[in-house]
Amino acid sequence: MNDVSDVRAMLVESATRLFADQVNAKMLDAAKQDGWSAALWKIVEEAQLPLVSIAEEAGGAGGSLSDLAAVVRIAGRYAAPIPLAETAIAGWMLASSGLKIPIGPLTLAPVHGEKITARKNGARWNLSGEMKRVPWARITGHIAVLAAGPDGDIVACVESSQCKITAGQNLAFEPRDDVVLDNVAVAAGLAAPAADGVNHATLRERGALMRSLAMAGALERALELAVRYATERSQFGRKIGQFQAIQQELARCAGEVAAAVAAALSAAGAMERGQNTTLAVAAAKIRTAQAAHEGALIAHQVHGAIGVTDEYALHHSTLRLWAWREEFGNEAAWAMELGRAMCAAGADRLWPALTSD
Amino acid sequence: MFDQVDFSALELPAAARQLQKEVREFLRTEFAALNFKPRLGHTEFHPEFTRRVAARGWIGMTWPKRYGGQERSYLERFVVTEEMLAVAAPCAAHWFGDRQTGPSLLRYGTEQQKQRFLPAIARGEYSFALGMSEPNSGSDLASVKTRAERVPNGWRVTGQKVWTSWAHKAHAFFVLCRTSPDAGNRHDGLSQLIIELNAPGVTVRPIRFMNGHHGFNEVFLDNVFVPDDMVVGEIGQGWKQVTSELALERSGPERYMTTFPLFTALMRRLGATPDARAAEAAGKLAARMWSLRRMSLAIAITLDPGPDGEKGTPKATVDLATEAALVKDMGTFYEREIIDAARLLATTEPTPDADDTFERHLAETIVCAPVATIRGGTTQVLRNLIARKLLGPLK
Repeated sequence: MNDVSDVRAMLVESATRLFADQVNAKMLDAAKQDGWSAALWKIVEEAQLPLVSIAEEAGGAGGSLSDLAAVVRIAGRYAAPIPLAETAIAGWMLASSGLKIPIGPLTLAPVHGEKITARKNGARWNLSGEMKRVPWARITGHIAVLAAGPDGDIVACVESSQCKITAGQNLAFEPRDDVVLDNVAVAAGLAAPAADGVNHATLRERGALMRSLAMAGALERALELAVRYATERSQFGRKIGQFQAIQQELARCAGEVAAAVAAALSAAGAMERGQNTTLAVAAAKIRTAQAAHEGALIAHQVHGAIGVTDEYALHHSTLRLWAWREEFGNEAAWAMELGRAMCAAGADRLWPALTSD
Repeated sequence: MFDQVDFSALELPAAARQLQKEVREFLRTEFAALNFKPRLGHTEFHPEFTRRVAARGWIGMTWPKRYGGQERSYLERFVVTEEMLAVAAPCAAHWFGDRQTGPSLLRYGTEQQKQRFLPAIARGEYSFALGMSEPNSGSDLASVKTRAERVPNGWRVTGQKVWTSWAHKAHAFFVLCRTSPDAGNRHDGLSQLIIELNAPGVTVRPIRFMNGHHGFNEVFLDNVFVPDDMVVGEIGQGWKQVTSELALERSGPERYMTTFPLFTALMRRLGATPDARAAEAAGKLAARMWSLRRMSLAIAITLDPGPDGEKGTPKATVDLATEAALVKDMGTFYEREIIDAARLLATTEPTPDADDTFERHLAETIVCAPVATIRGGTTQVLRNLIARKLLGPLK
């Protein structure tokens, strides 16, 4: 094994230990009320996990996008109620545009392509616009906003307290808040022209990649729980895992999980190498969303009635799967986009495109 | 699953990329030269095409050079295989030799067997078939009844094999048979023998597919003499030998690509500006193909013996049998998804002898749709195997 994979293995091990030790039923239940776990955030931030893949010179923790991918998958597996992926994307927007990354939880906006107007006001900027369902907005300190300035897009680091935030949530009780910027002032040093490669399309791509990775992790957890339950629960005088009908469903679930993991991690590698990113991310979001659909339902079916209660752990994973598969474009949206692009390129490009890793 | 694999780092190295180009160019040129029109559903037996593939060094390409191989990586073999499948190249004449009997001989064969068969397979001059299934042994392969009795200098074999693809054209076949009927465990007492298909006592009869195609056969063995030097590996170890290399076999591109040319033809038919429904279907097919290929590629790379390994045989220390079963299970369903998407988007009816490639491929694949989830391990058997791995022993 080479150095890169050694470092990755250490990162995976320490992140897994961290989330396994810290995340528990009490924390997840409390997060339904509070929107997140500030205590978990503190520990994860101290471990520098949210800024993995951002260069140390730029205030990040170093490492590659694939390293970050490994962390986001693990956070998804433990249903970590913190804006880890969002902070990573916001950090990337700010750092690549030459801006300082503030400490504390961050998020990115807009996530639905809304136009935010940035006007010059002397050396400062004034930002205005409305944005729907910004992830975690109300618990963040700052929002990295992509706005349209007079000479092109800018990235601005906006204090969340300067915004009008209306609380909302997704199916898993995670904050998804509407945010209004009403002539919000941003100091000169906190905004800059958006770097090459930072635009609405790439924000959506990064978001879709992060949700794919988190879904892969959540699916792994749902399968683990279903397998464990099948080995513990008895009916008709035997463990339910001894029935072929249950075995067949678990095997199908394992296939969906494996496909999700393969697709999400592969897409991270593709984005890291800048190779065929659009196809890889689209494919990953499509495949993981499909797996989320099949996998969550199988996991519930195996559990029977106990799985649908708010006392049993499975719902922390399945509610997230059902929420995340829609965010940053669901499988239908990405499939239409990918299908159109591939048709436009022509049938002769189909096979070369699928094999251009 | 796939714990040993780093998917994010998986990419084709420059040598494989170059090879990809060469194979594409070769296929373009040879299809034109041979005036070959691909058909789907049944890989075609085309000795001339096979010889031309062999001339490029692409049969037995992972094997040691001393046996006619090229000592290239599994990844490179993967690239060649997927390029062939992408255009439904007629590979039947070298398919089993390259994928199955060659590697088995490398691992279990005698030096004399290796010298005799491997270079001939690699030259595209010797075709093998597989004699596994029997009338009463389908999924339950360990129940084979074909018997071999000890005689001076060899064995006398009597029994019947079925679904033996291309037995009417191949030179020999690998026969799984019972060499000791009294063995306590039914997995014991099985052995693998090589039987030449023109040997006295061998009768080959066609089993026609429902569309009339002749690829399958039943092979009757009536007191066929097999000399000792045609025993593969150890007597009584046949079961272990047959099951030991399933990972590569189950996870190869042939498990998700046999209907791929229909996808290409569908894209041609949809044109540059598909409606929303067609675009969504095409996008989903592309996404699933891409994901399956990443898994298949991962298995090929992980099982590669590497520069210091035993050439031509998979890395012994890695067990990816369950992952391979997953790929086959999902891959064979994916092949049907292509057919269904094409069928539902088509505005014409499937027509077996149509001049139009799309209509012809649609007709060919619809009738063959049931096959992929049956051969090489049925869906249900694979899922039981996967579940056993997931659940462990249950009491």
